[in-house]
Amino acid sequence: MDPGLSRGLEARVLVNAARARAAGWRARSCRKRLYGGMALAGLVLLTACSGGTSHSVSTAVKDSSSAVATARIALRQDMDGKLTRAATSTTLDDELKEIQTSRSTVLKLSPATPEDRDTQKQALDVLDQCAAGFATARAALATNDGGNPSLPDGDKALAGAQDALKQLEDKVGSK
Amino acid sequence: MTSASAPLPRAPKVGGRILDAQLHLMDRQVLDHDGVPVTTVDDLEVSGPALDVEIAPGSPAPVITALLTGSVLGTRIFGGRPPSSRLIRIPWKDVAEVGVVVRLGVKGEPLDASWVERWVRDKIIARIPGGSHDPR
Amino acid sequence: MKRLLGVALGILTAIGGFVDIGDLVTNAVVGSRFGLSLVWVVAVGVVGICLFANMSGRVAAVSGRATFEVIRERLGARAGLANLAASFLINLMTVTAEIGGIALSLQLASSVDYLLWIPVAAVAVWLVIWRVRFSIMENVTGLLGLTLVIFAVAVFLLKPDWGALAGQLAPTVPQQETFWSYSYYAIALFGAAMTPYEVFFFSSGAVEEKWSVKDLAQSRINVLVGFPLGGLLSVSIAVCAAIVLLPAGVSVTSLSQVVLPVAEGAGKLGLAFVLVGMVAATFGAALETTLSSGYTLAQFFGWSWGKFRRPAQAARFHLSMIVCLLVGMAVLATGVDPVLVTEYSVVFSAIALPLTYLPILIVANDPQYMGEHVNGRVVNVLGMVFLVIILVASIAAIPLMIVTGAGS
Repeated sequence: MDPGLSRGLEARVLVNAARARAAGWRARSCRKRLYGGMALAGLVLLTACSGGTSHSVSTAVKDSSSAVATARIALRQDMDGKLTRAATSTTLDDELKEIQTSRSTVLKLSPATPEDRDTQKQALDVLDQCAAGFATARAALATNDGGNPSLPDGDKALAGAQDALKQLEDKVGSK
Repeated sequence: MTSASAPLPRAPKVGGRILDAQLHLMDRQVLDHDGVPVTTVDDLEVSGPALDVEIAPGSPAPVITALLTGSVLGTRIFGGRPPSSRLIRIPWKDVAEVGVVVRLGVKGEPLDASWVERWVRDKIIARIPGGSHDPR
Repeated sequence: MKRLLGVALGILTAIGGFVDIGDLVTNAVVGSRFGLSLVWVVAVGVVGICLFANMSGRVAAVSGRATFEVIRERLGARAGLANLAASFLINLMTVTAEIGGIALSLQLASSVDYLLWIPVAAVAVWLVIWRVRFSIMENVTGLLGLTLVIFAVAVFLLKPDWGALAGQLAPTVPQQETFWSYSYYAIALFGAAMTPYEVFFFSSGAVEEKWSVKDLAQSRINVLVGFPLGGLLSVSIAVCAAIVLLPAGVSVTSLSQVVLPVAEGAGKLGLAFVLVGMVAATFGAALETTLSSGYTLAQFFGWSWGKFRRPAQAARFHLSMIVCLLVGMAVLATGVDPVLVTEYSVVFSAIALPLTYLPILIVANDPQYMGEHVNGRVVNVLGMVFLVIILVASIAAIPLMIVTGAGS
């Protein structure tokens, strides 16, 4: 028995429906391609417009200041007895990771102009200050009350980093 | 394929229910007589003359001889055709009822169509502890 | 009395089971970046999921056929397979995200690295699927997930400026964000509320629990009361983030940030509640998505499936779920950020929505399946309106993803 026959039957019975469906599919796949093309064009336009170094730096700075702000909230809550040690240390770990990501993005930039090189240098300095702040805060958490550094020390270090980030943000933003 | 514009001759009157092979059989779930899923109707096998043979007037209408399953699904979607020996058939005489599902009048367990299920069960699932534990 | 208890239990489970890792993350991200200006999307999404979950539950109860059998039967083998491929991959992504969610929640509770929790979570999910009865699994995770109500409680404990909050409700783009990222997150939020797996799971669950026509009233109450309340729960996650994180300039990128507002409002006790709730919600959703991937495959190929059968009587179904869990574990073991996986999974869910919802709408109108229980006119009109919304969201999602750099 020939299986092709059954397919033949199916095809003949459904010739009209199948054609309509095929046409629908074709139209749809064309449309998809069109949208894909449009999106690609948009992407090219965007990368062309985004300002290279200063854009990347300002994104990195924004992400880092969000991370530092989170860490400060967590530390304050820990000092108020609202957060468990496990949750605080997890939060600090997560946000430190965020800083590291930002730092490596900035580090990988290849600035073309002296100003861009300057911006990169400043950003790296500030991000290092953030990382140092996190180190103090995590050490404070590890020494477990009363030791040195204490939680307020950690918070102070992070507050300093936050100020530096703010200044850099204003500077990069104004360009 | 016949052209859509050429009118087909009127179909002869038949007694009983009229089933559209595509609409009522293809891609329907197949259950055995205990209501256990066996497979899905992946394709149909129809009796009749070979392809490309002129059909003599007055020759009997083709009838469905079997539900097909297995690798035939792949060839139906991606083209090609498995050799006849590789087809997994559920003979039409085993079909008891055609409704929202196709019901068989036999047990699904010993059918050819269940061999993968049997293999997976015997070689893997039944060997994990608790594999035959009744959840209820 | 017993009936009343059954109704109450159903509603509570629906509320507790509504929120998953996608809702947790997306709502918190949106709340911290856009305030309450996207809450309307959750409302739209909840109406949509009520409509279609109810419809698929009705199809399953009346015809005994679950969603993916219907999808294949209606679309044919070829389009059905394309649909299966898309739905299955997105489902697999969601499984991965949920397992990651369990691990991250456990890390928050214990400070043990989440990578170590992943195998534990995956094995636990598998054990429950392997051994535990369907109704127990549903009720326990649903009821424990109810502890997420702490998000709503925290909103009150934080004593926000209610007037200012209400002012944020208007759908406007905040100053520091672009229209494109606003639209992108609107789609993400919509996808998180309407994830297709909920429909696969709901309809297959109806078959698992052997619903008949007389169970329809119960299921309608569960959906129409439980889902909106669940939606309210997920909105309160966004509100919490908008009160505490938005003013501090924090935009959410990790699960640890999601719980900070609750700790702020309700302290350590609140934190305990939220951690239990998050583990239960993600665990429940991990069960649902893992089962859904088994359901979709088994229903497409006509395999024997269901938790009401012994595993040996649904061998391929169980094997495919084991493989899915292993794949999810392998993906997470690469160290990819589960939160990122979640963010992508909700957007891809939005893209795949029409694939699931169109066939359901068609079959719910088919008298051969539904007899006298076909859709009424009001439901059909609503269904069509939603189909248009779903299509627009689906088509716009990928271009928006590219333009916004996935919302960054």
